[in-house]
Amino acid sequence: MTQVEEAFREGHVEADGFRIRYLTGGDGPALVHLHGAGGLRLTPGHDLLSRQFRVIAFEMPGFGHSPENSRTRNTPELAATMGEAVEKLGIGSFNLMGTSFGGKTALWLALQQTERVLALVLEAPAAIRPEGAEPPSGSPEEMARRLYAHPERLSPISPPDPAVQAKTRALVARLRGPNRDADLERQLPGLATPTLVLFGTVDRVISPDMGHIYKELMPNCHLVFVYDAGHAISTDRPEAFTEVVADFLERHEAFVISRTETVIHP
Amino acid sequence: MKVSFFETAHYHSPRRLPAEWPVPPKAYNHEAGAQSYRGMVERVQYVEELGFDWVSVAEHHYSPHRLTPAPIVSAAHLAAYSQKIKVAVLGPIVSQSNPVQVAENLAMLDNLMPDRLVVGLLRGTTGEYLSYGLNPTEARERTTEGMELILKAWTEPQPFGWQGRHFHFRTVSVWPRPLQQPHPPTYALGASRESCEFAARHHLGLGIAYGPFEVMGKATRYYRDACAQYGWQPASEQIIYRANILLTKTDEEARGLLEAQRAPRDSFPLRAGVREALLQLDSRNIAGEARAPSVGGMLPTNFFGKPDTVVEQIKRCGDEVGAGVIDLMFQVPGSCDLSFLMGSLELFGKKVLPRIREM
Repeated sequence: MTQVEEAFREGHVEADGFRIRYLTGGDGPALVHLHGAGGLRLTPGHDLLSRQFRVIAFEMPGFGHSPENSRTRNTPELAATMGEAVEKLGIGSFNLMGTSFGGKTALWLALQQTERVLALVLEAPAAIRPEGAEPPSGSPEEMARRLYAHPERLSPISPPDPAVQAKTRALVARLRGPNRDADLERQLPGLATPTLVLFGTVDRVISPDMGHIYKELMPNCHLVFVYDAGHAISTDRPEAFTEVVADFLERHEAFVISRTETVIHP
Repeated sequence: MKVSFFETAHYHSPRRLPAEWPVPPKAYNHEAGAQSYRGMVERVQYVEELGFDWVSVAEHHYSPHRLTPAPIVSAAHLAAYSQKIKVAVLGPIVSQSNPVQVAENLAMLDNLMPDRLVVGLLRGTTGEYLSYGLNPTEARERTTEGMELILKAWTEPQPFGWQGRHFHFRTVSVWPRPLQQPHPPTYALGASRESCEFAARHHLGLGIAYGPFEVMGKATRYYRDACAQYGWQPASEQIIYRANILLTKTDEEARGLLEAQRAPRDSFPLRAGVREALLQLDSRNIAGEARAPSVGGMLPTNFFGKPDTVVEQIKRCGDEVGAGVIDLMFQVPGSCDLSFLMGSLELFGKKVLPRIREM
């Protein structure tokens, strides 16, 4: 168990006929996190965010060691399930963060539950993907090169369980939808939720050139590039990631006003 | 081969200057300064008439040798006083600049001189770190990040924030956009591994300077290999080689002048303690091979002699370095006599330029 995981505790919630696992830590306003296609894995970003927020990181049905999910047909259905899971935890309104595949799920959830989602953070979202984009695959080393800016700087990640991996791949292939989802994109201009879209400048899974499309489609969207981060921004540059996410969740669009003091001596 | 004239706003002090850095501003002579800037205009018009392809300007601070702290101001002025010669800003010292402001200024410049702007971005020489209080150990990282931000500021179609290591902006949304699309021809300047790799990754040109042909050839090979890894091949014009030139009527004359130049002339050394401390903090490499940083000191003269000799040297440079543009710093030996410079330019324009065009 890593240091990060020690600060979080595990729970389960029944929702939409699934028994859904989650990890939670910290106090403060609720921040719900939906993971990427690789499943739930805590990052240093979760740890840093838990100092200001009550972080609830879900494992979506069918991911990790949860039973195979052959019922959910598409991302909107997955989003509805997750919305119910949040409700079952007794959380009314909340901040919502989605990573990659989870970014698309989060967008659908925000569309379905506009009143409850206070603000939306999309970390390297996979809701709008370049033509021909495929989910990354390959050996653990190849995956690491795709996901991280500097895999050599990270401690080795234990290889995934092949059975879990096969099950997850099939689920993601079924749920991920087209690279450009016309149904989703048609609805985005009506989504006024304050939204922060983050891309690493060296994302090798989804080009950071996708970022501006969210901004063009969504009326209250901010785009931030995290320098020298890959697809897994919160692992590559956790402090930079957390600073901007926390600031945005606190101040929404006023986060563009700097509060950094530059007085050297009073 | 294309030819660029490196314009440095030669300053000729009417009296001997204190041999120290920084040179006290009180030693500045206003009339000599005004003459330096009038000279810039005379020279750009002359080299344009002679058929030079580019004029280049650089950024140097607190320097009586080169009165060019603001290269973008130099470039705008030179462009306004010339017709078609390309103006190469080689370049803003990114490590100590606000990258967004650099992107804005250059975008504006690109519009003010349609199809004439060329851009080089660089870290700056070791001594420059003192001018604006830059931490030498951060210079490389700030340069790489700043260059990346400049390119983003030019090309991103929507406002964005920048969550960098050294630069933080919540809102970047540059107007005007560059006229040349996606941005003006841009070079990473420096023979370091970092510079070559940045240039290769972003499809930029590479500018190298002053080193011997075989050493600079190592850097350009490293760059070409890196470009190939990124799936593209640079055009010959995407490699600039900056060099000193001493062009004379005979080889003997050039040798004599070079010999005389070895004697110390105006130089402005740092105090030894500062110099040593600075050199310890800076690190430099050529294509990944460490080299000692340096502060001050004479730079080699890579092209020297009569026109025939220089034509041969330039040919060798093209072969060994692979440069498609040579950026020439015309030497004014000893006397500070600018008529020597004008004579060299004329000789170059008439006897060298026509013979290197087809290289």
